[in-house]
Amino acid sequence: MSLNVPIIRLLVAKDWQLFQKQLAAHVLGGILALCLLGHGKPWSFYFGALLLLVVMVSAACFSISTALLVERKEQTLAFVMSLPVSPFDYMVAKLAGNLLTFAVPFGVMVLGTVGVILFTPLPDGLFVYSLLLFGYILLAYSVSLAVAMSVQSEGWNTFAMIGSMVLINPVIMGLGQIEAISSTVREDAIVWSGPALLILSSEILLSLSAIAITAWVHGRKPVFH
Amino acid sequence: MTAAFTLSGIAKRYPHFTLQDVSLQLPEGQIMGLVGVNGAGKTTLLRLLTGLVRADAGAVEVLGQCMPEGQVAAKREIGFASEDMRLYRGQSLHWHMELIRRIYPGWDAAYAAELVRRFDLRPQQIVAGFSHGQRVKALLLLCLARRPRLLLLDEPTTGLDPVARLEVLEALADVLRDERRSVLFSSHNTQDIEQLADSISFLHQGRLLASADKEAFLDRWRRVVCQGAGMNGVAAWPEIASARANGSLFELKVRHWEADLPARLNAAGLAVQRVDPMALEDIFVTTVRAGEPA
Repeated sequence: MSLNVPIIRLLVAKDWQLFQKQLAAHVLGGILALCLLGHGKPWSFYFGALLLLVVMVSAACFSISTALLVERKEQTLAFVMSLPVSPFDYMVAKLAGNLLTFAVPFGVMVLGTVGVILFTPLPDGLFVYSLLLFGYILLAYSVSLAVAMSVQSEGWNTFAMIGSMVLINPVIMGLGQIEAISSTVREDAIVWSGPALLILSSEILLSLSAIAITAWVHGRKPVFH
Repeated sequence: MTAAFTLSGIAKRYPHFTLQDVSLQLPEGQIMGLVGVNGAGKTTLLRLLTGLVRADAGAVEVLGQCMPEGQVAAKREIGFASEDMRLYRGQSLHWHMELIRRIYPGWDAAYAAELVRRFDLRPQQIVAGFSHGQRVKALLLLCLARRPRLLLLDEPTTGLDPVARLEVLEALADVLRDERRSVLFSSHNTQDIEQLADSISFLHQGRLLASADKEAFLDRWRRVVCQGAGMNGVAAWPEIASARANGSLFELKVRHWEADLPARLNAAGLAVQRVDPMALEDIFVTTVRAGEPA
């Protein structure tokens, strides 16, 4: 199975052009959240953390819904399918475009948060805790993306996106219940406990698996419909 | 003769619809009109030709490529526009033209500019502000300016106002001056098809009822009005597609007109009053109602 790389690159660039304004808005929102986090006051930390979560969830949902669901709903998919692309080319372009449009705000937020934690008076113990939350958002995004690529139903897609993102609340509470993680949050040192490493590696592994399985299933489809 | 496409014994099954035993060929440089009511299978047939769906049985070959395996190579030389196809609402026509230009090396910028003028489109306008007619014309522009060898158009004139429809039909007529370019366009508007097509195919409930050269089609069919005491079994003759009685007058629609038919009708007790050629729409409706190959 050969890839039509020039067309894939064009389709990814097309998605990037289509969504760049919204991406910039997400990055700006994220930077504002990081500024609040680093301000050092309890109220700003609270609002910054909340805004950061909202921006991340919004970026994940926006990326999936605009690149995949809206394309189906507004029937621009038929236009793309008429171009010289195979279903495999389309799948690769969609995965790459989606990962890119999510990875940019996600990467900025992760690096920004790590920077804020390490270079402001905030306790360095937050480093592990925040990475675990980012890991969960990555997992929720990957599952939602896999569902969006595999299931046509708008209802199931909305359920997958909202359901997986809303679960971040129990995840936050659950992490707080794990002694090895919660006890080190306020310390001024980065402590990688066994449970933290296990959770983070599971999140990354499950995210990669969701994407890889989706790519494998779609790679076997010879036709679009 | 080189074929732009060949469908051989095609079947495609869906839960509530089946396209069955379709064999059809379009010689290169010809225009074929595909006529059928909504749900006849026109869109499925066009999707098979673009490799978007795989046939359950039979073989599809387009521009020398087996489909759907060769869809990428074939689609490089196909222009496909369908009634349900939409452009990106938030982008301009110019943005779409640039996208297509980068994908198709054969993009003809001068021809694109000419079509922009002819269709009275504004390239910088955002597509969301386009009327239905402008949207159809923009799609056609994007298809035509890439200079495809095969143009597949699914209901291109549906929903257009008379002026837009005429502009689209004129543009299509221009395209057909190129003898190597082949066109298949589907419609339930038989007037458009009669105006443009070299050959005509009737599709109904997933079956190909007829496919023939347009002139041969129109030459072959006649509406015959006769007078007599009764049908005397004439309605069962194989060349009679439909027969209606109105008092002592009888209207016969003949699918295979032969010069000796008036004499035979006379012999059967029916005096021929008049013989008229039939419009394509009438031929189509009669064929569909008869429910058997024309």
